[in-house]
Amino acid sequence: MTGARDSDTLSTLARAEAARIKEFAETLLAALPGVTVLHSRTGLVMVPMRDTAGGTSFHLGEVLVSEAHVRRDGVEGYGMRRGRDLEAAMAMALVDLALASGVEAARCRAFCDDEAARQAACDRDTLRRVEATRIDMETF
Amino acid sequence: MAYVATRGGERAIEQSERLFRAELGRIDAARVAQVRQALPYLVDRVMGEASLYDEDLAALAMAQTGGDLYEAVLVLRAWRTTQPRLAVAAPVEQGQLFTHRRISAAFKDIPGGQVLGPTLDYSHRVLATDVLSGGAVDPVPVAPAARAAPAQYPSVSAWQAANDLADLPAPDGVTGEAIPDLTREPLLFPARRAHTLQSLARAETGGVLALGYAAMRGYGQAHPTVNELRLAEAEIVVAHPDGTEFSAGRVKVSQAEVVSKKGDKLTLGFAATLGWNEVKCIAAATLDLNSAGAPKGSATEEEFFLYHTEGVEASGFCIHFKLPHYVTFQSSLDAMRDAAARRSARSPQQEPAE
Repeated sequence: MTGARDSDTLSTLARAEAARIKEFAETLLAALPGVTVLHSRTGLVMVPMRDTAGGTSFHLGEVLVSEAHVRRDGVEGYGMRRGRDLEAAMAMALVDLALASGVEAARCRAFCDDEAARQAACDRDTLRRVEATRIDMETF
Repeated sequence: MAYVATRGGERAIEQSERLFRAELGRIDAARVAQVRQALPYLVDRVMGEASLYDEDLAALAMAQTGGDLYEAVLVLRAWRTTQPRLAVAAPVEQGQLFTHRRISAAFKDIPGGQVLGPTLDYSHRVLATDVLSGGAVDPVPVAPAARAAPAQYPSVSAWQAANDLADLPAPDGVTGEAIPDLTREPLLFPARRAHTLQSLARAETGGVLALGYAAMRGYGQAHPTVNELRLAEAEIVVAHPDGTEFSAGRVKVSQAEVVSKKGDKLTLGFAATLGWNEVKCIAAATLDLNSAGAPKGSATEEEFFLYHTEGVEASGFCIHFKLPHYVTFQSSLDAMRDAAARRSARSPQQEPAE
């Protein structure tokens, strides 16, 4: 283990474009021999919400996710992402494992930075379009 | 009520299912992708009512049931039971939503302002019949603003509470498996608030609208004003095995707060659902607003509206009436014939009065 994981990196990996993260994870395989797969499955995550009128936590419903959990030399890698794509979840777990093991860390970091920039740009584009619908109501 | 199995008709049953499916034609990945792309609001509605968020599965369910939404929701809920629950996410907080649409009919100058987002609210409802004559409707691109809107906004109700317009209870702080769950516990009355809101979140849209509309028209105690309506995306916050929390992705959610102006302070009703379905949320929040003290058997009484807006149970009960009831029906007919025979046996002895 080379250091504590950070939430932003994991979130970026979970939201990474599926084809790109799969392609990148392929390039890590040679440097990660002897990986044990603990889980590779689909399942559900229940999503609760806080009610603003009564302060009550209640369940909105469940979300289909894909999960991968791997281990190598006592270090664990984990991936969970929305949807039914076991390969993409496994790719996330392998990048997480590589980062935690210090394997190809610079390349992994560069991949995450690139993905984070793409996602931020996508969000910014969405919010610029939303801003175009800002309305100032007047009463007469 | 008693039922017996019927025998016979296997061939007719098989052919009838073939007849249904023949009309739908081939269902493949391309069909599913087309449904998903063409009907996002219907996909959202089905995901909300199924309590299962996955656009591909919802589009598949619609494709294989030919758009019979009750059947689509039923197959999704059935499929859901084949999957393990891997986690309960951290509760979604209103102030953390990635917001696409946020409006208030109560205050024009809410903190953070109002963004209309994607809506047909102010559009002419004109059918584009040119498409049927070979034309096409190509959407005009949005002209993006120079600056981005904020992703997150404060809660309007929190602002009202800060200005002494409303009393808000403190958050209950309940998380994870401790949150009551209707899919694992029975709905009992008086219902726990968590059960009420979960039940409304997965309720059938048309049913919620019908009963909410009844309340709006005057069959309730309080007239709603939309305090805050949001269409947004929520992060699914889960934990890595080492305990680090992260987002496994986003899901679309809608939520509505409605207020009543009766009394010294504003009282609030609330509803939310998976997917973007604002009609359902406004109607459901209206039912929540009206439920306290509602007369037994009225549209706004909790037991009445929760039982009657559960679409899978309601549609299942409705369609069971078309299945063979031959024995029970014959039994009723026998009773009617017996009664008629007894009446006619008595009537000849009765002489008409003079």
